[in-house]
Amino acid sequence: MGAVVEESRAVVLAPETTSAAAAWYGGRRMSGGSVLGDEVKEKGVVERTGASFLGISELVGGFSVMLARILARVVPPRFDGRQLVVNLHKMGVKSVPIVAVTALFTGAIMVIQAAPLVQRYQAFGLIGWGAGFGTLREIGPLLTALMISGRVGANNAAELGTMTVTEQIDALRALAIDPIGYLVAPRFLAVVITLFCSTLVADFLALLGAAYSAGPLLGVEPRVFYNGLTSGLLHFGDVAHGLVKSVFFGAMIGLSSCYFGLNVSGGAPGVGRAVNATVVVSAASIFVLDYFISFLSA
Amino acid sequence: MSAGTSQSQEHPEPAEEPLVHPDDRGVFYQLGAAFFDGLRMARELYSVFVRTIYFSVYGRREKGAFAQQVYEQGNNSVFFLTVFMGFFGMILVFQAGEQSKRIIPDLSLLGAQYLQLLVRDFAASIGALMLATRVGAGIAAEIGSMVVTEQVDALRMCAADPIEYLVVPRFKAGIVATTAVIIWSCLIAWLAGLLTAWSFFGVLPRTFANTSMVSAGDLVVGLTKCVAYGAAIPIVSSHSGLSTFGGSEGVGWATTRAVVNSSLAVIILNFFISAAGLALFPSS
Repeated sequence: MGAVVEESRAVVLAPETTSAAAAWYGGRRMSGGSVLGDEVKEKGVVERTGASFLGISELVGGFSVMLARILARVVPPRFDGRQLVVNLHKMGVKSVPIVAVTALFTGAIMVIQAAPLVQRYQAFGLIGWGAGFGTLREIGPLLTALMISGRVGANNAAELGTMTVTEQIDALRALAIDPIGYLVAPRFLAVVITLFCSTLVADFLALLGAAYSAGPLLGVEPRVFYNGLTSGLLHFGDVAHGLVKSVFFGAMIGLSSCYFGLNVSGGAPGVGRAVNATVVVSAASIFVLDYFISFLSA
Repeated sequence: MSAGTSQSQEHPEPAEEPLVHPDDRGVFYQLGAAFFDGLRMARELYSVFVRTIYFSVYGRREKGAFAQQVYEQGNNSVFFLTVFMGFFGMILVFQAGEQSKRIIPDLSLLGAQYLQLLVRDFAASIGALMLATRVGAGIAAEIGSMVVTEQVDALRMCAADPIEYLVVPRFKAGIVATTAVIIWSCLIAWLAGLLTAWSFFGVLPRTFANTSMVSAGDLVVGLTKCVAYGAAIPIVSSHSGLSTFGGSEGVGWATTRAVVNSSLAVIILNFFISAAGLALFPSS
């Protein structure tokens, strides 16, 4: 199955791209002069507000339906295990370098940001706690989710979108293979598991980066840093808080990428739009969910 | 694994497909390949950057292109950033309040502390990460689909350098729009934080609105970050767009790479600018 997908993915809808992209590009750019696009002026405020309200409602409804359909495949497990393993490798293992680089730099940045506070009160013992708290509860899960959403979510939407456009999803249905069970549910689970594990790795690497950048930047020994981490101000609850968040973020990335990927219309440019929408909606929902989870768990 | 057995028994796979791609040849091979890939990309990015700078100074200017790009990158991002920086401000103050209640129950310096963090780092960095997502994906998708449909080659045929014609307006607009949008979103995040502190912790707005901790150094660091991110995001995403190959699949890949690489660029620049700021403006 995978081989078929790989091959036909190379088939693209070039003529459609050409005309649509050229019209879009030519119309917007080479007409010159007008900065505001025409479509912005056409509709009134009320109409645009209504349209965006309807759009958001459609999105929420579509996400809910898709989530219900995925969960129905997951709870008595009726999805393709092999696809799950393939996707875990593609999403998880291949994202390790990005997650590692992000986490190491994030840890160092957290130390730099906590530095003035610590220097002012000469409370060097607190730097471990200060950097650790922010990293474990907020910045670690948030940045990991943003990176994974950029890398995995976009790629997932592009892949599913191309399959939709080239009618491979319909082909699956014609072969009596359930596309949700074969394609969507394994991807969804793989994103959730990937993000959970990546957040664990990122937490660890960020604290490591923080501990070893506190030395050159502030003259704080790593041991003092670890002391601050383990002195009792940080609880397992702080780590768990970040991990719970990561599960929700992962679910959101998986849902939005699969939803937009399966609902592509309009050929190859549609795939581009779907990728864009996935990245924007996942980033947006990550921030909104972050707020509600932080608020509810306090 | 067990979940798939029922289905794969019904529909056996035609050939045993390897779980790991045959290109995965071992750790050292991969490390070396990653290293050379990184090196090549750094050289390409440097070349795009230098040519962009050259053409920004000596190149021809297309009328209206700059304004259109500012509109595209700035105005169209305002709503997006307003909402998310508002949420981010609420989260940050809420977490900071909860956190400092564990140690010192005095929240009177919360506002001053928060404003300093916002100005020096979070407004610029988190805002730029969001912009990298929106603007970077847009630039890469636009330039990438032009490359795939050979419009960039057509530009070259017309003796218009794609860097001069496509990248330079985005670069200049990026610097202006990013700085403006980030200053706006900093204000929004601060207001959201003020309201959160007022309603959850009872910190009066008068107490919260305390600018005593924001020094000139913090402002310089924050604005430097805005300009650096504003320059980096268009360059990195244009590079991803220009190196697109293949068809629509390639455009999808270019978009992904633009988002990931510009986010990484923001994080790495953040580290270096923050470290330089710490060295140049030590807090007294």
